[in-house]
Amino acid sequence: MPGVAFVAHCLLNQNSKTHGGARCPGIYSPLVEELRDAGWRLEQMPCPELAFTGLHRFWAVKEQLDTSAYRRHCRRIAAAVAGAIEVHVRRGDDVIIVGIEGSPSMGVHITSSDPDRGGRPEWPDGAGELSPGSGIFMEEIVAELTERGIEAPRAMGISHQLPGHDPEAERAALRDLMEAS
Amino acid sequence: MDADARCFRVALVAGELLNAAEGRVDAMAVLQAEEWGAIQLPAAEYPDEVAGPLLEQVAEQVEEFARHGYTLAVVGGRPGLDEALARVGVAAPPAFDPDTADELVAFLKETCR
Repeated sequence: MPGVAFVAHCLLNQNSKTHGGARCPGIYSPLVEELRDAGWRLEQMPCPELAFTGLHRFWAVKEQLDTSAYRRHCRRIAAAVAGAIEVHVRRGDDVIIVGIEGSPSMGVHITSSDPDRGGRPEWPDGAGELSPGSGIFMEEIVAELTERGIEAPRAMGISHQLPGHDPEAERAALRDLMEAS
Repeated sequence: MDADARCFRVALVAGELLNAAEGRVDAMAVLQAEEWGAIQLPAAEYPDEVAGPLLEQVAEQVEEFARHGYTLAVVGGRPGLDEALARVGVAAPPAFDPDTADELVAFLKETCR
């Protein structure tokens, strides 16, 4: 039975991406269509980086954002999202989360890491920053849900900004996630 | 890095219209076709204690788009939105509650003029 997918902000609004990162004008249609075709309801999560570091932010790795202030910001958003997730979980809806692989905030299984990065932004594009792990917001939403006694939903991240991105594999992964309940 | 494809247009859309409730306009399909991004407003079914913090986040994000001159529009709306926007110093964008997809298309085109 279709459930509720809490999706990363940029899935519905590519305007929130760092400059150079918007893959389409507005709505990232491939995965949205996959969810809608399967009858799933979409709930958009806020973009943690947009309101904190702004539209003109630099591409960042996790260590650059991992301050106590940014953690508090993410936890405030996580609390807002967890409130909505809780409504659905309490009434028995199936819930999934769709993040952004490679993101320092929204990564589910892959984040970005470079402990030495800082200063003038002149590193080579895509320089070895991808690393296993979750982004900061994903860590905070899991913590927030755990405090509320709610099991973290099944989750995946879209992979369109990773090297070797395979659109069909991405859609298949989303179908598997939806059907895994 | 690839060329950036953003449209610089963002619609604040009622949850019921993004998820195409029976008999309502399918705003998602229209926004895709017209090349707008979307910020989802909390659906009416959420109680105020759930919707309020979500609206606060919406307002903070809209403020950033407004600050950079993006075109903004409200589709369907949500009680409390104007107040949340006012708290971050953003005037309410043009708003419309469409009965048909054609009406929504016309509103979006008019907003871009």
